[in-house]
Amino acid sequence: MRYLTKLYYIIFFSILFAITYLFIQTSKTQTVLNNNVEKIIIQEAETFAKNIATNLKKHLKNDPYTELKTDKTLRQHLESSLEIINNETFKYIFVLYKDNHGNYRFLLDGSKEKAFFNQRLNVDKEVWDSVYTEKKPHILDQNKLDGLWITYLYPVIINNKTKAIIAIDFSKELPKNIYTAIEPLNNIFSYIFIAITFLILILIYQTFLSLKSKKESITDPLTQTYNRNYMRELLQKINIDAYQIMMCDIDYFKHINDNYGHKAGDEVLTKTAHILNTEIRPEDILIRFGGEEFLIFIKRHKKQDNLAYNIAQRIRKKVEETHFNYEDKEIHITLSIGITCQPEHFKSIAEAIKHADEMLYIAKREGRNTVVSTTTHTTKKVQKSDKKTINEVKEALEEKRIICYFQPIFETQSQKILKYEALVRLREKDGSITPPAAFLENVMYTNIYNDLTKTVLESVFEHIQKRQVSISINLNFSDILDNTIYQLIIDELQSHKSDAPWLIVELLEYEILSETSELVKERLMKIKSFGVKIAIDDFGSGYSNYTMFQALPIDILKIDGSLIKDLDRSKTSRILTESIVLLAKELGIRTVAEFVHSKEILEEVKRLNIDEAQGFYLAKPQAEIDA
Amino acid sequence: MKKFLFALLLITTTLFASNLQTEEKIYALIIHTLLPDNQKIKVWGDTPHNKEILQNITDLQLVESPKDANFLLLDNNSSIETNALIFVTNYKILEKMQKSAIGGFFWQKGRPNILFLRKNLQKKNIQLPKSMQDFVEDEI
Repeated sequence: MRYLTKLYYIIFFSILFAITYLFIQTSKTQTVLNNNVEKIIIQEAETFAKNIATNLKKHLKNDPYTELKTDKTLRQHLESSLEIINNETFKYIFVLYKDNHGNYRFLLDGSKEKAFFNQRLNVDKEVWDSVYTEKKPHILDQNKLDGLWITYLYPVIINNKTKAIIAIDFSKELPKNIYTAIEPLNNIFSYIFIAITFLILILIYQTFLSLKSKKESITDPLTQTYNRNYMRELLQKINIDAYQIMMCDIDYFKHINDNYGHKAGDEVLTKTAHILNTEIRPEDILIRFGGEEFLIFIKRHKKQDNLAYNIAQRIRKKVEETHFNYEDKEIHITLSIGITCQPEHFKSIAEAIKHADEMLYIAKREGRNTVVSTTTHTTKKVQKSDKKTINEVKEALEEKRIICYFQPIFETQSQKILKYEALVRLREKDGSITPPAAFLENVMYTNIYNDLTKTVLESVFEHIQKRQVSISINLNFSDILDNTIYQLIIDELQSHKSDAPWLIVELLEYEILSETSELVKERLMKIKSFGVKIAIDDFGSGYSNYTMFQALPIDILKIDGSLIKDLDRSKTSRILTESIVLLAKELGIRTVAEFVHSKEILEEVKRLNIDEAQGFYLAKPQAEIDA
Repeated sequence: MKKFLFALLLITTTLFASNLQTEEKIYALIIHTLLPDNQKIKVWGDTPHNKEILQNITDLQLVESPKDANFLLLDNNSSIETNALIFVTNYKILEKMQKSAIGGFFWQKGRPNILFLRKNLQKKNIQLPKSMQDFVEDEI
């Protein structure tokens, strides 16, 4: 569409250029034509003047005034010879002499309305005198006089002295006729230019209307901020690396509507939007995201981490201090703000906005009138539970400090190691090991999670290659649904085709299955086509659903640890485990017992005929697989 | 300088105005030059055209009878006995009335021509400014 618009512009300006070029060329042609006609006429006048002068010199000896004054017949004869030349082009032909006072007077007049002999004629003396003295013809432009175009002056030289001047006046009719002949062509250009001007005016008006309508479509009518339409456009073109995302929400806004009415609510929204607009900078972008929610993209330079946080605090304080007046009532409001400081870490802008919304939710949960950003929130949690920030995980990945531990899984009856479960760990700079619970959550929706999955897969395949042993990895169903991670798994399987049958994929997060089971099944089948086995982790807890046996190609069922760890004490656990094992046997699915933490539990597992077992009693996760 | 200005007036008026407007301006100049001291100049013309010209000139009072006028603009030969200044619009008439007319203004070969007759100027004791002396003729 954009190219089509460009094409229209090119065509329009090409036509305009062509017409202008044609107009200039026509004007030039007109000038050349005029000049040529003028040249021809002057040449003709020159010939006539020369002939007249020759004729005069033939009849006049020395003093034309005296000779012509006395010889009326000669005068008439010479005038009649001038009359022959007189026509529409040469309007007046006459001969003047210069008297002793320097005035010019008629000797001969070839015009129809004749002047008297010796009658004085007021002329441009300066020019006529120059012809007299220089004895050279002169072309005098007569545009100042009505009806005359040019006067051609030719000196009559007798005995090397200028005795008179022949004047031939050109009528204005000729250039007028040329102009009249060309006028229709000029008119065509005038009409074309008028039409183009009109067209341009219409285009300008249309553009104005289009811009106006465009502005209306992307502006929220109440707050005059951008709306979601604009946001959709913005997300297509924005470089998210250059922004931090701020999600603002007016606390207890429903109370304002309920207590003071919707008009008051609208007033509060408008004024809040105004405050937001004044507190942010021109390069920031304010969008009304929902009812009382505003989304702000804060432009940052050189990855300033605290910029959005500082602006958010300023906004929060300003709103808190502002008295909103509506119909003599004073309303106080506060804002809760959530911030995504590093949107570049997220898989998509939508995820980054979602994260800002999650931070906003935390701000609400923590008592409202608060600003929560990724940095501040994580810092708080670190104090409580030692959680890693996105940057720390990223740094660990770059420094190859994301590693795998391997926990053996035993064949229950023989108690021989059958396979291993790969468990991701973060090795701190001091060498200590951090479990996944401390770093996975923060990176879950970011691109770092993809890199982390890739690292784990590569590490597992490296060990498979080295040891030729089965290793299972943990994935979520959402990972299978994620196009990037799914493709990453397929790529890894492609490049390790021969080792793929040693791999087992353990899946969690069953809740998403109901809507997407077909796609999951299709993708799992594809993974299985490499010889990979599919295991369901933590079965028997949470969202465990028996329909998954129909929907999915399951090879192994890992019974949830909460059932296994109580086998020796809880009858219910035993019965549930027993039924799961029975069901699995019937379906031809192998079973694995997790959390085998004591001899008693192992005995129960054996008794229940569970195929495989793992747990601290048998073996703890270890950094390397024994030879 | 004045001569130049007068010539300029002749040229520019002919360039930018119609012949009638040009004539009005020239006559206004001539009349105010010939009758500089008169507060209210009474004028008369013998043709509708001349009357129209005189009527359009400011500060002039067009009168019904030539006897009441102190400036006459004539297009025809006339034997009116008057002390008024007579100005004609035709060379032939000027020739015929060269004893009484003070001068004339007419178009000759598309050019505006002014003539003043020296004898009559002297009779009326009129001293023309230098800018107009170039148009004075001893006889025609």
